[in-house]
Amino acid sequence: MELTMKSLFKADEKTAAKETSAVAEEKKDNITLLDAEPGKTYIIKEINTEDDEMNSFLFRLGCYPGEPITLISKKRKSCIVVIKDGRYNLDQLLSEAIVL
Amino acid sequence: MRIAFAGNPNSGKTTMYNALTGRSEKVGNWGGVTVGSKEYTIKKEIAGRDDVIAVDLPGAYSMSPFTPEEGITSEYVRTANPDAIVNIVDATNLSRSLFFTTQLLELGIPVVVALNKGDINEKEGTKIDTAKLSAKLGCPVFDTISIEQKGLDEVIKTAISLAGTTQKAPYLQADINLHDKAAVDKEDRKRYEFVNNIVADVETRKQLSAEATKADTVDNVLTNPIAGILVFAAVMWFVFWVSQAWLGPLVADWLVGWIETFQEWVAAQLENSPPILSALLADGIVGGVGAVVGFLPLVMVMYFLIALLEDCGYMARVSAVMDPIFKRVGLSGKSVIPVVIGTGCGIPAIMACRTIRDERERRATTMLTTFIPCGAKIPVIALFAGAFFAGASWVSLLSYFLGLVLIFLGALLIKGITGYKYRKSFFIMELPKWKAPSLKFAFKMMMERARAYIVKAATIILVCNTVVQVMQSFNWHFQPVEEGAESTSILASIASPFAVLLIPLGFGVWQLAAAAITGFIAKENVVGTLAVVYGLTAFIDTEELAMTGGANTVAMTMGLTSVTALAYLFFNLYTPPCFAAIGAMNSEMKSKGWLWGAIGLQLGTGYTIAFLVNQFGTLFTEGHFAAGFVPGLIAVLCMVAALVLIAKKVRAHFDEQYELHAKSSKEGAAA
Repeated sequence: MELTMKSLFKADEKTAAKETSAVAEEKKDNITLLDAEPGKTYIIKEINTEDDEMNSFLFRLGCYPGEPITLISKKRKSCIVVIKDGRYNLDQLLSEAIVL
Repeated sequence: MRIAFAGNPNSGKTTMYNALTGRSEKVGNWGGVTVGSKEYTIKKEIAGRDDVIAVDLPGAYSMSPFTPEEGITSEYVRTANPDAIVNIVDATNLSRSLFFTTQLLELGIPVVVALNKGDINEKEGTKIDTAKLSAKLGCPVFDTISIEQKGLDEVIKTAISLAGTTQKAPYLQADINLHDKAAVDKEDRKRYEFVNNIVADVETRKQLSAEATKADTVDNVLTNPIAGILVFAAVMWFVFWVSQAWLGPLVADWLVGWIETFQEWVAAQLENSPPILSALLADGIVGGVGAVVGFLPLVMVMYFLIALLEDCGYMARVSAVMDPIFKRVGLSGKSVIPVVIGTGCGIPAIMACRTIRDERERRATTMLTTFIPCGAKIPVIALFAGAFFAGASWVSLLSYFLGLVLIFLGALLIKGITGYKYRKSFFIMELPKWKAPSLKFAFKMMMERARAYIVKAATIILVCNTVVQVMQSFNWHFQPVEEGAESTSILASIASPFAVLLIPLGFGVWQLAAAAITGFIAKENVVGTLAVVYGLTAFIDTEELAMTGGANTVAMTMGLTSVTALAYLFFNLYTPPCFAAIGAMNSEMKSKGWLWGAIGLQLGTGYTIAFLVNQFGTLFTEGHFAAGFVPGLIAVLCMVAALVLIAKKVRAHFDEQYELHAKSSKEGAAA
């Protein structure tokens, strides 16, 4: 995990500075997207949809452990996130499956 | 020579395909507009030769399909051996798109990358070093702007010149066991690392994607469960009001004047010919087809407005805001898109269901989407609103609203019948960047649909009207039907047995039954056939037909009250759509059981709604039930019983399956 994160930061230096501060704040508490704070960028720790196909679909969008994800806004049952350079609307089930 | 167009959803493949081939395939600003492959010859002035075929494919995020339409793409590029691949890359999301690009580069087929949407990048200050990217990928890369047709020539010329060569891959997947999930994951990670490194090298961004923008504020409102739904309702109300109560009828009135003049002219030309011929040509053909064409402006205005909605990026937001509600009844947020497309035509709506991943949700949407009145049903609605309700706009609004309610109720019913689901239903929808809708594009789409509508009126509707006219004019001995003996005609004797079934619904006469039956061929036929059997035209002319003291020609001739008219309208709207749509349902559902279930459900729904409207409407207006209450009630109860039986059978089958699973897992554990 450490390794991937490091190499990733090297690759993506532009956003790295922003993310490190956010990551530092979160420390070790495991929270899901639904508990996250809008406007902040997090690093994905774990994705657990209990559905292999769904997991690999998310992977192909660039949503996998070690990658940054930004919460733009959240509602009671859904949220809008930025993954790579795209914005997506996720429902409650998916938001809960993404652990930060 | 075939050139395949592949790339992420909503990267602009179909826009480019349309520009190169001159076709008008459906485009829209959301992922998953194209759901099947299409091919057509590229214009000679672009390709330099006339044997180059462009193959437009549905968008895909990778070579591993997730939804059915993604499968079409990976299957095609893997097995159909195109001579070259044009990989359309959304330049605003390079980091995601290149994942698929590197997979395409591994196939050995020459690839040309079209770096599309450069205009948005320019606005946002994002720069991509094309030459560097080309060197890193080992394939030509060109900047293109599909919507402005910029850069397309070079892409195609280069693709043609490369045909026959072998593409060298910049990144090759290691030789791993593809069934080993962990190994595949590891490889995919490496691929993304490779992609990330390239992006870091070639892309400079002024505005970071993660920064909140004004568009996010708008999205925040539009996806809000309360505000978002209110906005959607207002937008749809506006579309229907403009097209069917204000601008549409305004143009239609003017058009109908011309059609009438033409009809009179035809009749005058035929003055000295046999009355049968005159009746066939002036009343049957010109009158029947004219009655349908007269409603064209309503349909055109609506197509125009819907095209604007589809072009700006609103559809994805609607889908997102509706997801929680649709999910509650067992559908998906993605079911909204077929429903909105369905206001135009049911066939593309049914095909659009392919983007729904869950099979049960997909089939349920396919089954229910045609409850929303399509463009062909607009003439029927407008006719009845005009003749029986003084052109009141609430009739049209009610028709759509009831359609939506039926979709919800139907979905709940299907959920109940098929039992609880075993698979979690996830919803993820990309929110594309907003785009100012192009009036030119909407106009083009409108004209395209108008052309199709006229072609349909001049072919299917014309033939049906002629057949109806002939069947009505002759009896089984092929002698002309005498005046006063209309019920001896071929048409009357065929339609009469069906008419009996419709007595509980309040419209058990052969003329109305015949119109409803021809409606299954194409819904416009309802209007055409009514025009023919009652010898009426110019339905739309509301001023002339306005209900004055309960007496007007159309309403009088049809012998319907406003209650039975409403029942008849709803019967035609909510019974199965035309045969073409049923055919589309058949190919999408891939299950005879579901298809017959769909047809049965729609027949039952149309019948029940008409029965309830007629019986309770009559009870309220006249104080007693209408004729045939008991037989009708028995029929409805039989349908309910059939539903219960089917539900029992389906659930028993489910339990059986579930038990089998439990058994095998136990055995597995024991072993």
